[in-house]
Amino acid sequence: MTLIMDIAVVALRMLLPVYTVVIVYQIFAAMRRRRRPERPLVMLQDVDTGEKIPVLFWENSIGRARGSDIAIDDPAVSRNHCVLLRRKEGWFITDTGSKTGTYVNDKRVGSRRTMLNIDDTISMGNKEYAFRRGEDFHEELRSSWFFSKVSNKPAIQPYKILILVSLFHVFMAVEACFCDGAKDFDPAVLCGFLVGVEWMFFAVSRLVLKREAFELEALGLFFTGIGVMLLARQNVKNATLQPAYVQLIAAVVGIIAFCIVIKFIENPDRIGQWRLIIMIAAVLLLGVNLVFGRVTNGSANWVHIGPVTVQPSEFVKIAFIFVGASTLDRLQTRQNLLEFIIFSAICVGALALMGDFGTALIFFGTFLLISFTRSGDFKTVILALTGAGLGGFIVLNMKPYVLRRFQGWRHVWEYTQDSRGYQQARVLTYIASGGLFGVGIGNGVLKYVAASESDLVFGLMSEEMGFISAVTIAIAIATLFIYARSVTTRSRSTFYSISACCAAGLFVIQMSLNVFGATDILPLTGVTFPFISAGGSSIISCWGLLAFIKAADERTYAK
Amino acid sequence: MKRTLKRSWLIFIVVIAFLCGLCFLVVETVLNASDWVDQPYNGHISGAGGLIQAGKITDRNGTTLAQSVDGKRVYHKNKQIRKSLLHVVGDDSLNISTAVQSRFRSELTGYSFIWGLDMPQSFRHGHDMELTVDAKTCKAAYEKLKQYDSGACVVYNYDTGEILCSVSTKTYDPNSPPKITKKNEEEYEGVYLDNTLSSTYTPGSIFKIVTAAAAVENIPDIWDRTWDCTGRENIGGNDITCVGSHGHVNLKQAFGHSCNIVFAELAVELGEKKMNDMAKKMGINASFNISGVDTKKGHFDISKADKNQLAWAGVGQYTDAVNPTQMAILCGAIAKGGTPVNPYIISGNTGSILTDIGLTKTGAAGKNMISASTAEKLGELMRYAVVNDYGDTMFGGLKMCAKTGTGETVKGESEKNDGWMIGYCKDSRYPLAFACVVRGSSQYGYATAGQVAKAAVIQAAKSMKE
Repeated sequence: MTLIMDIAVVALRMLLPVYTVVIVYQIFAAMRRRRRPERPLVMLQDVDTGEKIPVLFWENSIGRARGSDIAIDDPAVSRNHCVLLRRKEGWFITDTGSKTGTYVNDKRVGSRRTMLNIDDTISMGNKEYAFRRGEDFHEELRSSWFFSKVSNKPAIQPYKILILVSLFHVFMAVEACFCDGAKDFDPAVLCGFLVGVEWMFFAVSRLVLKREAFELEALGLFFTGIGVMLLARQNVKNATLQPAYVQLIAAVVGIIAFCIVIKFIENPDRIGQWRLIIMIAAVLLLGVNLVFGRVTNGSANWVHIGPVTVQPSEFVKIAFIFVGASTLDRLQTRQNLLEFIIFSAICVGALALMGDFGTALIFFGTFLLISFTRSGDFKTVILALTGAGLGGFIVLNMKPYVLRRFQGWRHVWEYTQDSRGYQQARVLTYIASGGLFGVGIGNGVLKYVAASESDLVFGLMSEEMGFISAVTIAIAIATLFIYARSVTTRSRSTFYSISACCAAGLFVIQMSLNVFGATDILPLTGVTFPFISAGGSSIISCWGLLAFIKAADERTYAK
Repeated sequence: MKRTLKRSWLIFIVVIAFLCGLCFLVVETVLNASDWVDQPYNGHISGAGGLIQAGKITDRNGTTLAQSVDGKRVYHKNKQIRKSLLHVVGDDSLNISTAVQSRFRSELTGYSFIWGLDMPQSFRHGHDMELTVDAKTCKAAYEKLKQYDSGACVVYNYDTGEILCSVSTKTYDPNSPPKITKKNEEEYEGVYLDNTLSSTYTPGSIFKIVTAAAAVENIPDIWDRTWDCTGRENIGGNDITCVGSHGHVNLKQAFGHSCNIVFAELAVELGEKKMNDMAKKMGINASFNISGVDTKKGHFDISKADKNQLAWAGVGQYTDAVNPTQMAILCGAIAKGGTPVNPYIISGNTGSILTDIGLTKTGAAGKNMISASTAEKLGELMRYAVVNDYGDTMFGGLKMCAKTGTGETVKGESEKNDGWMIGYCKDSRYPLAFACVVRGSSQYGYATAGQVAKAAVIQAAKSMKE
């Protein structure tokens, strides 16, 4: 009898890592297959030569510059001449400060958007183009790598993916119910609520919002559920599941935030009006944090409101991406980054003052990504890096406990009994103890170490679910960028492409700090693992950021 | 749009960097997992629970030193053997961190990175380990060692590197480990320390081997010189004393009688640099890796010594300190013509990936210490010491080369010393090098450590014969 039980236990443990790989593969495979064929949206036809130029994007720069979406080799055309863009109402053209001007049916176009109709004539410099339908373009177009060479198999149905995800969480619950020394079936109840939330979200997405794709959401739910179920046997002191329920409730709030953010950025042109307000709100939020923040684990980035503890810096991440991204015509007319640089400096500075250097580093890294994607300017990047280097040097001199962390870095085995290496050494020990397949949910020992469910969660996952699962999940989050990058070729505005890519970049930076900090490849900075670490503010912000990637998919707003 | 998309390669670089980091982590984990697991705090293996399914530990003859029977760890039935091998084998706890059961606990329990720890009982396969030690020899050494406060005895085969005997006292019975409280603290002071590996002692006259080596290599007419010992001589403002007055002696006689004055003079004549060079070459300040444990480094630092202190340092006093295993290796080097074979204690599979794929070999040659001709000369000196001072009968007719020493630790009325005897057997059938040290006796090294060495070496030779 015990042998049969043991076989079942081992089989389940081996199943989870394999299952993780299957789910992650299925979701990304579905993302690839679910896509309409590559066709130009409209077309410009040279009136003199008859040459056909496909218009591929929702927002297109036209100019003499070689990097333009539509490059025109004519000395009379400015480098960044005008922008051709599509909105819900139709196609528009905006002159972005050209010398010789842009004309539609011989009427000069200003910096305000002018609507275009099919067969209108657009002239700039010595060139004249007819505005034609995309269907009239018959040549083959190259597709992005992620979507090219996809087999003709239809995408797996979204509900099937969600069944896979929910079943995975059920397996986790089974393991948690039967872990060493377990006497109750509370994790099963928790799992019931979790699965309920998952399917409710699916129903709302499908029936109310009428969205066809659900892969990205399924991936988010997959990670979130893992975080929730890991907490089921985490609270070792009083053995309640309260933290797990708090995490689940926060996840629901996060999912609502996800929907709100998508709705909020629906119209990329309206975003401009909100930019300043959001910036001020974010700065105020950090200000409140600075004044009322209470010091927890060496940094004062927590604010207590009654029974609820929030980390305002997490929400500022969403604002940060929002402020950083921009539509193409705005990018071309207002090229300087000053406003964004000042905003970033305030954010990073405030976080450094609070002593939360991990989050400050995330903001700084994301700042580099955004500013480079916007301007393509290496000088800004190098200047910022130099500034940060100086700042880092000052920090190391002023905050002794940061320096202490650096002392332990790559030497944790010499400091297994003090704060320089205690946590990292245990993470490594228990990663190794878990092996490839893990010791099972609830059987881990790392949970007795402080912050194991947040800063050290990679170790906890690895110990209880196995190294394969932990690494696969980390890769899946990194792959979000590949998806974001691929999907943005079809984004409705550069606002979405910048925000989606940079949100994915933020996830990767944050995850790097978490994973490599806990495993002593980088100094331990104490940031959360996206979606999985326990922490209400963190999970809400993750879902908020995921909204940017979802919004980059043109089908999100298609009705 | 195209430009924005192009510029996102910077983010792509971040992603690639992350994936590279992840690869690095995977490689590091695969290579080091078994070391990471063997930590005293590891909740999966601590206490006897971690040993429930652990494999057998046997000595070189297949004698079981420890095994798990019905969920309990059972050690050898003979109490003396249990106590003598405590520091090699270990006990249920992880207190003796250098013991096999502490360092290789995960391997003993069948750990592999693929399956991890905490597999259900039905699937665990204990992993057996074979040691190079000979239980009988350890017992013989222990029975002599236990008469003294504490001590250590190492005997190893200088041809193959196998450690036949490694005994450390104080010790206790792994079947009934003591609860150490404030009351019995003193009685068990340092009991978790394996003195053969993790302690150093004042060498006393055995350090004359180093001084002699420096003299043989640097003073051409050393063999023609003679000295007159009156038992006392002022060097650098203070007296250097001898046990007796040795009269007119040459180098051999001075080494045999262990004349302090001769070697003190030699040390001063050689000077700081040459003494330092020789100490460095002979690895006095170095650490040696014995199956994964680094020996405690010896100590020879005369950078701040005045002339008198340099003289004392040359005869193994001053701040000099050496480790027993290190001294056994030094003797092994002399026996092997200047280059020792690195000793090791685990003969079977260690479970370490690097060893399994042959990257780290057991019984490999170590670093060269002295030239072959110097080794031969030192061998002659040590042989002379045995023949003329201890007598060949001491080792039951074995052709031994050795040196005794007495390190002064506590001066005054309750004088207590560290007594030493180190050496090797010049018989190709019994290639044994040894180092024994005994603490807490007022007698000289010959009378204390000499008896331990005698018992251990004779038994080791007997065991090899069988």
